[in-house]
Amino acid sequence: MWRIRMHGRGGQGIKTASQILGSAGFYSGFQAQDFPLYGAERRGAPVIAFTRISKDAILERGPISSPDIILIGDETLLNDPQSAPLCGAEPTTIIFVNSNHRPKELSQKFEVITANLTDLCLQRLNGRTIYSSALSAVGARLLGTIELEDLLQAVEDELPGVSSQMLKGNLDLAREVFEMVQPVAIPQRVEKALTAKPLVFPQHLPVVDGAPIILDPGNMALRKTGNWRVERPEIDYDHCNKCLICYARCPDGVISLAPDGRPEIDYDHCKGCLICAQECPGHFIKTVRETGIFP
Amino acid sequence: MKTQKKTMLTGNKAAAWGARMAGVEYVPAFPITPQTEIVETLAKWFADGTLQGKFTNMDSEHSMFMAAGSAGATGVRVFTASSSQGILHGMESLYTITGWRTPMVIVNVSRALATPITLEPDHNDVMSTRDCGLIQLHAETCQEVFDFVLMGYRIAEDPDVCLPVLVNLDGFYLSFTREPVLIPDEEEARNFLPLYKAMQPVFQASRPMARASAVFGGATYTSFKLQQDMACRNAEKCFNQAAQDFEKYFGRFYGPVEAFHLDDAEYVFVMSNSFATKGKSAVLKLRQQGIKAGLLKLRLFRPFPGEAIASALAGHAKVAVIDQNLAPGMGGITYPEIVTSLYSREDRPEKILSVIGGLGGKDMDDQDFMAIIEHLDKPDSGTPLYLYDEKDVSSFNRLQQIAKLKEALS
Repeated sequence: MWRIRMHGRGGQGIKTASQILGSAGFYSGFQAQDFPLYGAERRGAPVIAFTRISKDAILERGPISSPDIILIGDETLLNDPQSAPLCGAEPTTIIFVNSNHRPKELSQKFEVITANLTDLCLQRLNGRTIYSSALSAVGARLLGTIELEDLLQAVEDELPGVSSQMLKGNLDLAREVFEMVQPVAIPQRVEKALTAKPLVFPQHLPVVDGAPIILDPGNMALRKTGNWRVERPEIDYDHCNKCLICYARCPDGVISLAPDGRPEIDYDHCKGCLICAQECPGHFIKTVRETGIFP
Repeated sequence: MKTQKKTMLTGNKAAAWGARMAGVEYVPAFPITPQTEIVETLAKWFADGTLQGKFTNMDSEHSMFMAAGSAGATGVRVFTASSSQGILHGMESLYTITGWRTPMVIVNVSRALATPITLEPDHNDVMSTRDCGLIQLHAETCQEVFDFVLMGYRIAEDPDVCLPVLVNLDGFYLSFTREPVLIPDEEEARNFLPLYKAMQPVFQASRPMARASAVFGGATYTSFKLQQDMACRNAEKCFNQAAQDFEKYFGRFYGPVEAFHLDDAEYVFVMSNSFATKGKSAVLKLRQQGIKAGLLKLRLFRPFPGEAIASALAGHAKVAVIDQNLAPGMGGITYPEIVTSLYSREDRPEKILSVIGGLGGKDMDDQDFMAIIEHLDKPDSGTPLYLYDEKDVSSFNRLQQIAKLKEALS
């Protein structure tokens, strides 16, 4: 069985990528299973999706903790503690990152394969960065056991309702990526003997700890939702006239006022909805794509 | 057996396809995670004319189940779905409509109950509907979801039953998991499940009647309740008949329980729903290292197939009943039912361990199953055994620190 885990952000087509790969595997004559995992969050929040492809019946369900292949659609997630895309990786795990960086810049510990899917998507998909076709094509090709025609059929089947122009863009993109990537040898796993998990008997706690009581309200500040951003708003202070419409319109209240009356964006918590850029009457807020690896 | 098309479907989509292939005529709906995809899919099919009949968005699950029962009383084929807090909100209606004795299929997508609130699965929601008088079928795979919806109508509409059938599937682990599912063509489905023709009097404008009668004095109430009990018990025979027919038409056979590597098993896990797949995988790995393990999967949960369960478990030395539910102050909910079914058997297992795991979506892995084996071998292991470890304690403590301490922010 091949276990493939994909990481990205809500809105980047990661769930669909896992489904395209699942269907492609199924059309190529394998057993297949795919499954997405995300919380009650939304666009920009980390998303994980899983595909299992096997010659035999798949007797596994749910998250994949030790993957054979990890496909990372968004390099900014590499060091994100919540997403933890390298969790469970072994030295033999095949790791792909959509990035312009050199592999050594991305990880000292692991061998990483890279390709710049973002630029390809921007070209082929009318300026959009939806990685479903590109990332599934990487997975299909790395496995080496999935036929191109099965992948293209899967792209078509898993993108119902898109315009014919967008479908053509996705098919071209999938073909291009498929031909760009080289198959890799996926090492056979050695099954380890099962060991028993050491269980503990729960201790009774006073109600203040035993019940889900939060005594410290306002702790959402600890949740750095800033890393949900795909694009960051940047205020051009040379032209900003402090009208404060951005301050009023920000749905997350992350624009505050500096002592001199300038609006300031709290990048730890700005989710990159870009409503401020839309609302700024003078168009003095520009949007910049987030790239790079956050330490 | 004619052509069946194999398609990648989520558990939710498989449920919707089951309703579609049953030719349902009325769907009252109310959305709830992780069930919404079912009613969303059906809404689309009613809107584009794929399904003929009526889809109605209701104002709550309480009125949804009332509408389902009322529509069933007019003699149309009814389908609805819910989950978790939703099915609890409809609880009063569930008891009410089973007493009306109108057939339908309800899909429940299991999700753990508040408080604390979560979206992830366990079985306290479906177990809370255990005593409503519903027939219950629990699905392990997306294929079983589809098949049980079709079989469900055969059972629900049988003149000896006339009760709602609930098909259960796990949220996330099945509801959002896609795997290959065989879907027959409509003609083939219709051969197994003809269009619905009520075998009991139904509401018609020309023929007034009442179904929700009030009775006093106890004897009449008792009589009706005993009838309901017998109808529910009849469903085991109907399940077995439907399963035989199903195999004839579609080539897949379903017993009320499924035995997996049980014959020579010294250790048996009793499980239900999608985590049974994990149990089966563990059984194969345990056997590779010389441990004779087996698994008994519960499919028909109401009526409780006590004979089938006892016959499958009798003669095996050590049994662990894994409940993904918790009755506080008591333990696992299926455990006492299984122990009761074995009580009169002389060759009952020497040890039957109650295990609580998988609460609120907590995953279960091979090491958990190995821990259960270890505890089955311990003469003094307490019961129930909680699948709970140091890692769980430390992640709980980490969140508690944030919830309790002002210093956490500084």
